[in-house]
Amino acid sequence: MSNSNNVLIIGAGIAGMQASLMLAKAGKKVVLVEKLPIIGGNTIKNEESFPNLECSTCMVAPVQQDVLQNDNIEVMTLSEVKAVNGQVGNFTVTINKKARYVSLTECIGCGACYEPCPVSLQNEWEENLGKKKAIYVPCDGSLPNVPAINSGHCLRLSGKKSCNACAEACMFGAINFSDKDEQVKIEVGAIIIATGFDLYGGKLLSAFGYGTLPNVYTSMEFERLYASNGPTSGELLLRKGKKLPDSVAIVHCIGRKELGYCSGVCCMYSFKYAHFIKDKLPEATVYNIYSDICVPNKSYQSFYNKIKDSNSTFIFQSAPDIVQIAGNNGKLQVKLTAGKGSKNSLNVDMVILSCALVPAKTSKELADILGIERDRKGFFQTRKGYIGTVQTSVDGIFTVGCAEGPKDIEDSVIQAESAVGEVFSLLG
Amino acid sequence: MESNGKEKFTPKIVGYLCNWCTYAAADLAGSSKLEIAPNLTVIRVMCSSRIDFNLVLTTFFNGADGILIGGCHPGDCHYDKGNYYTRRRYAMLKSVFKTLKIDPERLQLAWISASEGNRYADVVNSFTEKIKKLGPNPLNENPYY
Amino acid sequence: MSTKIGIYICECGPNIADNINIDEVIERISSSEDYKNKQLIIKPYKLLCSNEGKEYLEKEIKDNELTHLVIAACSPRDHEITFINICKKTKLNPYLYKMVNIREQCAWMIPDKKKATEKAISYIKAAINRVLHQSVLIEKQLDSNPNVLVIGGGITGMETALSLASKQRRVYLVEKNSILGGNAQSFKNLLPRQENNTDLVAKKITAIQENENIEVFTDSKLENAVGFFGNFEVTVKSTKKDQTANEFVVGAIVLATGFALMPTEKLKKHAYGKDDNVYTALEIEQMMKAKGKIVLKSGKEPKSVGLIHCVGREDRGYCSRICCNYMLKIISYLKDQSDTILIKDFYKDLCLPHKYDQEYFDTMAKKKVDFIRISDITTKKTHITYTEVNGSKKEADLDMIILAPAMVPAEGTEELAELLNVPLHPTKFFQEAHSQLNPIGTSLEGIYIAGGCHGPQGISESVLQAKAVQGKIVTQLIPGEKIIPEVKVSEIIPDFCMGCQTCREVCCYGAITFDPERGICVVNEAICRGCGNCVGSCPSGAIRAKHFTTIQIHQEMKEAIS
Repeated sequence: MSNSNNVLIIGAGIAGMQASLMLAKAGKKVVLVEKLPIIGGNTIKNEESFPNLECSTCMVAPVQQDVLQNDNIEVMTLSEVKAVNGQVGNFTVTINKKARYVSLTECIGCGACYEPCPVSLQNEWEENLGKKKAIYVPCDGSLPNVPAINSGHCLRLSGKKSCNACAEACMFGAINFSDKDEQVKIEVGAIIIATGFDLYGGKLLSAFGYGTLPNVYTSMEFERLYASNGPTSGELLLRKGKKLPDSVAIVHCIGRKELGYCSGVCCMYSFKYAHFIKDKLPEATVYNIYSDICVPNKSYQSFYNKIKDSNSTFIFQSAPDIVQIAGNNGKLQVKLTAGKGSKNSLNVDMVILSCALVPAKTSKELADILGIERDRKGFFQTRKGYIGTVQTSVDGIFTVGCAEGPKDIEDSVIQAESAVGEVFSLLG
Repeated sequence: MESNGKEKFTPKIVGYLCNWCTYAAADLAGSSKLEIAPNLTVIRVMCSSRIDFNLVLTTFFNGADGILIGGCHPGDCHYDKGNYYTRRRYAMLKSVFKTLKIDPERLQLAWISASEGNRYADVVNSFTEKIKKLGPNPLNENPYY
Repeated sequence: MSTKIGIYICECGPNIADNINIDEVIERISSSEDYKNKQLIIKPYKLLCSNEGKEYLEKEIKDNELTHLVIAACSPRDHEITFINICKKTKLNPYLYKMVNIREQCAWMIPDKKKATEKAISYIKAAINRVLHQSVLIEKQLDSNPNVLVIGGGITGMETALSLASKQRRVYLVEKNSILGGNAQSFKNLLPRQENNTDLVAKKITAIQENENIEVFTDSKLENAVGFFGNFEVTVKSTKKDQTANEFVVGAIVLATGFALMPTEKLKKHAYGKDDNVYTALEIEQMMKAKGKIVLKSGKEPKSVGLIHCVGREDRGYCSRICCNYMLKIISYLKDQSDTILIKDFYKDLCLPHKYDQEYFDTMAKKKVDFIRISDITTKKTHITYTEVNGSKKEADLDMIILAPAMVPAEGTEELAELLNVPLHPTKFFQEAHSQLNPIGTSLEGIYIAGGCHGPQGISESVLQAKAVQGKIVTQLIPGEKIIPEVKVSEIIPDFCMGCQTCREVCCYGAITFDPERGICVVNEAICRGCGNCVGSCPSGAIRAKHFTTIQIHQEMKEAIS
């Protein structure tokens, strides 16, 4: 018996969501599995996305709402794929659904449960720049707008103390401490992997002072700093010392040499940050320290030109990852390779490390579970010998977006749409 | 006494907000439990470009003390370029207000995106304060103004 | 049937009930003079969006034979659709219903209960007044044609045609040249990494010719296309003497017209045309395909070659994305030919966005190639003068120069854009509907773009876009299924229209046309998205936005000011 009408999509970021809506519209039943308690992926962490600098939440909110309200899409948050058997047309997939402890149907998102919770935690979604409670949604505007409880830190669920604060505050009886992790088996005809990316988190970061010098930030941290729904409501507040930076150095290509590839998006997002900084702090000085400018889309060069002409000072480095960053009396000293016309070093208040995009950390495990190949960079491998395909080494399993390789949102969505095309070609 | 009269003045402000951005920001401001002056009444439209010239003037002639038009930031319009046209019409309206000797400060345009709940609160509260200072719509006191 | 308005106030647990005196709201509205002669049913309910709430509402509408419905609850952005669906289960037209936001924009933002209650009363009264002026709107259902017109018979067009034909769609493939194949057939080896069969193009052409679902028109172009998504009436005309025209109806149109290289006049500053041994990369590919080796005009093999990237990049205002990669391919041709050829590669930036591109570059870098990053370069015949990034000025005398000129949209792109009313990007490629959410659609529903005409890209990306187009068409244009266009559209009242055409000019979707016979404009309801921009632009007040009419908005406005 064939299950060609059912499709599993792993990852509810922009690519996964767009693919799910297209498939659902044509009558396919989609199961959209997402490991976080909310959908939206990395895109919703941006205040604005290049090249139009459009408000990401405004752009994605209608998509998220469509996905959540669509009868043909079953969204499973806090879930991960654990096992896959079978072949194209007939995959049996085992999914682990972690307990949320809050009912998705009863909760109306009023938020009354957060304040009484006595446990305060680092909020990883906010890059640890902000706090959350043990019962939490990652950010304002989360969808689904239903909290989850971190069972490891919840006093009651971890057995540390009896506490009923959130349940008492809830007028809808939505909190259920006896919720359990669940294992679900589904049958699908095809699988689309859209698990996105992580940011480079290797040893270069500490070499550049990240972690020891408080005002060195990763790109994702800066996204959350600038976000109006972020931990500082969009104020570019430094971690230590001065309140706001007078000068910022954005260092491109972090991890490029080590990883052996250019991520294709960091130049653009670096220019975006330069634009953000001048937007909030018109008097600030911004430096873009680069080794190549990669603007591969027809709309990108003009943004680069604007930043080059009226925003930042561009400083060329003969190779990526050769700057040196050290603390210097509350400021940060960025040592550059000497070259005609270039400064030897800069003294700035803030450094942003524009990090490479790497495969999501779940990639290896997922590749093993699905029995598909990964390439030598750790991304999921598309079928060799074929041009322009998103099919992996296994029939019926496709990979799209940054799960396949670093790329911007436009290319991710194009791949997602092409996967839908390939699914229809394969399954009918 | 004049000062008492001014204290009793509670402005009536009409806010024409676009569904996709500003209205969403208003919702977010509400969910964030931000306190917002109750003087503004929200009227939802699909796009700020729906707001035509006559509607704004009629709103004013019916006695509104202030009018706020809320739309998406330029470049973000859900309907491609609608808000660019809103911007042009707003510029023209300001000029017409001046000609009719209506204080153009009574009309405000704000680009507020769906994630800017705080900004919505700021815009509405400061606009309300401004209208309080400007006083009532002159037509309410003298219809032949 | 007499007018009966049902008003249901959701308590939303404590969220509304705690901050608004619902009893007072009910009392004040029931006893209001304004509704003296109207039949009003006004009731509270604990939680309307719950299953019980929805069942309750459905029963209330049916039992009371309500003619109008007002729901005062949370934001319509949360649950407007929920209650529209309830209406659809009853005889009540969903457009005779209005949802009032008394939670986010009332109870939650006004801490003073008295003020919040007053506000709620005002909003609900406004909604009652508005709903009484709302009209029944019926969804239209349009037949659609599942067939597709593909313009451009290069690799992108062929891939699109084949994938759609495999889903039993009839595809009309139009090609301006006498043969299919487009730009790709000029290349000896194909990127990426030259691991693919160079007969790719030939195989596609054969597959097209053998496919019964595809009708090919070579030496032809699009003459006319009228209509909208699901129903385009197109005319394809032969460019040969006979000028035969073929007319047919399709549901979707795909633009796959490809790219060209920038005009050669602009290459004169690099001595192109002035010296016989200055070539474009495309000419080198064609030479490789024809002769199997790269030779000078004299027939001798070059001993030294200079490759110049980014030609025209500043002029055109964009990077052409694939040149760095294909220059590496040309370097591999040269090195295969002779290990001792001196190669100097001049570039401004290395554009290596794909995950394997850097590796490709690193491999070539090992083959004793001089990769030189420059800030400036000029050529006189085959003599190059350049400035390195560190400022040093140098010169090089070479046997041959190969240029990587910018990719531009193919000839005829502008005319096609005008014919179809498809907007162009500032770079003159076609403009996508939305770069992130709808990257291969256009602002005209049913017209899609893929391949080189979308923007500079390689074969891999073009094929992906072709498949994305197939995905879009297969999921949006389904044989037998009706297309349901937007209901809340604009309509032009003929008597008031002066025919100034301002509305037509401001419409971002091409939904308005001018009827010269009647001298008025007409809205195509199948295309209109309901933004109301035309209403805002009309100097005669001749346009009515359904469900957002002036009278309806006035009801809300008057209540706000009273």
